[in-house]
Amino acid sequence: MSSGKSPVPTASSQEEARVPTGAGAAARSSSLARSVATPVALTVLMVALGFAVGGNTLTTLEEVLALVVFATATNLLLGQAGLVSFGQAVFYGIGAYTVGLGWLHWHLSFWLTFFLAPVVSALVAIPVGLVALRARRLYFALSTLAFSELAYQLAESRYDFTQGANGVFGPFVPSVLTDPIKGYLFLLAVTVVSLLLMWKVTRSPFGLVTRAIRENRGRAQALGVNVYRHQLIVFVVSGFFCGLAGAMFVVYSQSAYPELLDWTSSGTPIFMAVIGGMGTFLGPALGAFIYQFGHDELVRYVSDWQLVLGGVLLLIVMFWPDGVLGSLTKVKWSQWRNSLNKGGSDE
Amino acid sequence: MSEKALLVATGLVRAFGGFRAVDEVDLTVTEGTIHSVIGPNGAGKTTLFRLLTGILRPTSGTLEFDGAQIGGKPPDMVARLGLAQAFQTTNIFPRMSVLESVRAALVSRHHRTRDMFSWFHTRLTGEAMDMIDRVGLTEFADEESQTLSHGDQRALEVALALAVQPRLLLLDEPTAGMSPFESQRMVSLVRALSRDMGLTVILSEHDMDTVFGISDEVTVMHQGKVIADGPAAEVRANDEVMSIYLGSEA
Repeated sequence: MSSGKSPVPTASSQEEARVPTGAGAAARSSSLARSVATPVALTVLMVALGFAVGGNTLTTLEEVLALVVFATATNLLLGQAGLVSFGQAVFYGIGAYTVGLGWLHWHLSFWLTFFLAPVVSALVAIPVGLVALRARRLYFALSTLAFSELAYQLAESRYDFTQGANGVFGPFVPSVLTDPIKGYLFLLAVTVVSLLLMWKVTRSPFGLVTRAIRENRGRAQALGVNVYRHQLIVFVVSGFFCGLAGAMFVVYSQSAYPELLDWTSSGTPIFMAVIGGMGTFLGPALGAFIYQFGHDELVRYVSDWQLVLGGVLLLIVMFWPDGVLGSLTKVKWSQWRNSLNKGGSDE
Repeated sequence: MSEKALLVATGLVRAFGGFRAVDEVDLTVTEGTIHSVIGPNGAGKTTLFRLLTGILRPTSGTLEFDGAQIGGKPPDMVARLGLAQAFQTTNIFPRMSVLESVRAALVSRHHRTRDMFSWFHTRLTGEAMDMIDRVGLTEFADEESQTLSHGDQRALEVALALAVQPRLLLLDEPTAGMSPFESQRMVSLVRALSRDMGLTVILSEHDMDTVFGISDEVTVMHQGKVIADGPAAEVRANDEVMSIYLGSEA
């Protein structure tokens, strides 16, 4: 037991308390420098990667970028707010359909629908969140799953509007983006901006409060925080970026189809977050790389690739619950950066 | 000391099925006082506290805080009105540091909880350290809350409650499970808060020495009802109270 701690406030102890303010500011500027260095380095790496690889790998990278945004947005709920949603595919699919259906029915320009997609998804996230967030934990997860099934069934059955199970195909992606490297660079730019925005949200007063809600919702409420409202806001923000990810996916796939809305698609970003580490900001992004490239390698050799995925997930959950990046950050920050850079260039 | 009644409960009842955990309780807490609610286990103290902070809704009766009706209002609204609680079971943010936890509470008090694009929370370090210093946790500011000792976690509880700048602080068994040294620290802290910040404090407590050592007013509960109420010295001299505490009633 430490002694000599005076619980009684004195003038001198209050003076001392101001000292850490300066230290905090210094720590902040150094963390700012670090936080500028990481995204710049990663962006440069990704641009270089785009030019270094070609053909199919570049196309896969396009898909990966969409999944990076999808997984990071899902992790706003999972890692940041502690909400397990099996319904994020609803917003992902709506993002893709906004682009496809906008072209099909109203001949809207791709660029308009691309930036409209996250807004539409966010608007849909409001009523879904209002209903789903009434429930807790498992029941929240189940109700989001129900919304996913509902969206899937709607998209599949309303043939006149959605073209049903066939999905929407067509030449709606501008030719400049169907060029692999240009399409890739465009998606990379969108990814970088999205990740920076989401990173800022997690490092904001709002982000701090959502973490507090995740840690102990009753205590947060006793401090004057309206838990339901804040969870709804995270849900809508996540829906917004899931919708953007769906629109990004269209650049890769040039189509939108019902399976995108299905709850199994909602599982994908959760797997990615678990693999990469949902306790870290970039974990889900790393998970997206591992998952997608792992998947592409696996299907070449094994027909039951999901069996392998299940095994890998089981091992991670049992022995590496912090995920790849989470475990590495626990080792040491400098080692983590080295490992990440090494891992990136190996790919 | 002003004689203004800050909190007035009238005929407060909370029933769980047929069981009345809090039964027709009247309670008046004067601004600036330390007011203890005592009673044996199961007397209804914790239920009463939960009614005061809005965690539970009263079955009947009225609850007035500084002239505003708060009976049945949700905890976040009650907290915003200036009534904060430090909980009986340790109720902290386990995987957040002490500093982060208090900052989160301050963000709430400054009404910036929906601010997504500023660094406002990082500017709260000085203010947060003030709170942390007040409860004697300065050296643990960067520690993860769940790693603190029991006594220090309770102190953090108090810091969190203070951070929302309450006018009335509820402490539910603040010294429960503490070593004598930790208890003594908590008692001096509560006394200092009352004296230096003019805070009104309601606390529930088992330990009689603690209660009569710091309270201005004491309310005694037994089986959901108030059986004695008044200045500490008077209640102490009350035979009925003593018999309940000595366990001589059968």
